[in-house]
Amino acid sequence: MNIFSGHIATIQVNESLSLVSIQMNEHITLQTIVVETPATVSYLQKENPIRVLFKETEVIIAKIATPQISILNSIEGTINTIEKGILLSKITIDTSIGVIVSILTTQAMDKLELAAQQKVVALIKSNEIMVAE
Amino acid sequence: MIDWGPIILTAKLALLTTSILFVISIPLAYWLATTRSKIKPIIETLVSMPLVLPPTVLGFYLLMAFSPGNAFGAWLQEYFGIQLIFSFSGLVIGSIIYSLPFMVNPIQSGLSSLPTSFSEASYVLGKSKMNTLLNVLLPNIKPSLLTGIVLAFAHTVGEFGVVLMIGGNIPDKTKVVSIAIYDEVEALNYSNAHLYSLLLFGITFVVLLSVYMINGGYLKRFWK
Amino acid sequence: MITIDIHKTLQNSNGTMSLAIQLTIEKGQLITLYGPSGSGKTSTLRILAGLMSPDTGHILVNDKKWIDTDKNIKLSPQQRKIGYVFQDYALFPNMTVRKNLEFALEKGQDKSIIEELIDIIALKKLQHKKPTTLSGGQQQRVALARALVRTPDILLLDEPLSALDVTMRSKLQDYITKVHKRYNLTTILVSHDIGEIIKMSDKIYCLEDGKIVRQGNPIHIFTNNQLSGKFQFTGKIITIKKEGVVYLVTVLIGNNVVKVIAQESEIAALKTGDLVVVASKAFNPVLMPIQT
Repeated sequence: MNIFSGHIATIQVNESLSLVSIQMNEHITLQTIVVETPATVSYLQKENPIRVLFKETEVIIAKIATPQISILNSIEGTINTIEKGILLSKITIDTSIGVIVSILTTQAMDKLELAAQQKVVALIKSNEIMVAE
Repeated sequence: MIDWGPIILTAKLALLTTSILFVISIPLAYWLATTRSKIKPIIETLVSMPLVLPPTVLGFYLLMAFSPGNAFGAWLQEYFGIQLIFSFSGLVIGSIIYSLPFMVNPIQSGLSSLPTSFSEASYVLGKSKMNTLLNVLLPNIKPSLLTGIVLAFAHTVGEFGVVLMIGGNIPDKTKVVSIAIYDEVEALNYSNAHLYSLLLFGITFVVLLSVYMINGGYLKRFWK
Repeated sequence: MITIDIHKTLQNSNGTMSLAIQLTIEKGQLITLYGPSGSGKTSTLRILAGLMSPDTGHILVNDKKWIDTDKNIKLSPQQRKIGYVFQDYALFPNMTVRKNLEFALEKGQDKSIIEELIDIIALKKLQHKKPTTLSGGQQQRVALARALVRTPDILLLDEPLSALDVTMRSKLQDYITKVHKRYNLTTILVSHDIGEIIKMSDKIYCLEDGKIVRQGNPIHIFTNNQLSGKFQFTGKIITIKKEGVVYLVTVLIGNNVVKVIAQESEIAALKTGDLVVVASKAFNPVLMPIQT
């Protein structure tokens, strides 16, 4: 599980769903959609410190930043380590919010020709990010 | 031919004693099974004393107490016109005291063996202690009740020392079978003694056997 | 509403323990007392039922004083309207199932409640049987029904399901939830089963050594963090297996076995037998109809 801390920047509520944007640092803002509202949980308040959690297997890797994509959450970084398995591989990426771990198929990694020290972009869909106090 | 008087008297005494014992032993056993009073061991000891005390000791003290020459006996004589000594009523009272542990102990142990949650569940359902005792506790210790009844009955049938001390040997009043046997032996009337003895033997055997069969070994467990 | 503030010095195997419980329960709530054995859960129930007396304190139920040691007020168990389901069920062996229920009727109470309970708790087929011929789960249902005959103010359940297997348990949990809602009961449950507590109770009070050390929403208490994942279950880890760069963790949730892919850092703190929360976002699961 990738876990990072940030502060709630904005909350957009519609019925029982909320779209929350979380300021991770001065450059990075992550968006998440949750089945909670400020009325159901106390921690959904502007300025509140909050943790974001997402599974390694949900981290998508791109070699260049692509604005033409439906994924809004993108974090630039540099590949630190690569652990190659037969079907799945694990890479760690140094970013401005911390180390992000990604697990992807070895096939995909080979296709992208990923290697240590390479610059990449980690992408996470909004509905894959969980939040916690 | 033997005299049937002692047999009828014995049956009367045993039935009456057992009935009275049953009525007084239930509250007493219930109290002993549930109380946390400090005097419980003393009461328990007193109830059980007849188990080990020679019947003559008990008979002797009862004789003393009932004797009109004594305060208690005189008081009974004066206010109620009852003379307990050498009378059937005296015999009943003596038998009740003498057979008390045989009725109280099985009932007490039966009540103690029931989970406390039975009475607690009944109280929580709004039922009084009396209602609980009659409808929940007693119906669930039927084997113990039967054991108490049979033991008290059989024990009363077989008593000798107490009867001899306070009842003497008055035909149709205090002359029970066990005394009659003694009497016949004294008179060297062995055939009558045989008949009485055989009768007691037979009755006791049948009564105890039926209890064993009904309770499926309960008595054995109780006397272990 | 029930307000409890009681103190009692208890003797247990570790010497003396001082029980000091303060809590307020809203009408219609189902709350759980949770904690290690000997922490005072059953004693609290017994004091509420009047089977045990506190040294000092008071109990107020719907504005009626059940106990006030300052004013020497103490209602007997008979005077309190309590439904108590004992750990050993305490069904009366001399009575049939139906007679057990009928025994609980108050003087002049309408008998129709018996039919209603037999119907709700599905006892029709068992009603003429003696309790000793019933299975644990069936006895449990009878005990529950009997406790409800008086339509009590409070239903007290002392680890009612601990002796039952998983399937029976979940069935009984449903019955309890059903009657709790149906009769608008205020229910106090003593339980050790975290899954059961999360499934059933509105609020949990954690007892340790006679004191309430934590209280709150069961999910919050047991998971420490308020995770936003809506697809949450508690389960027990059966196996942890390394599969290449990831780990495959098998978790028993209720009587279902699920598998979760986890990472080395996640399983570092876990071992077989541990209780875990399995969480996912509400967006991920798919639903498919079952052919029946």
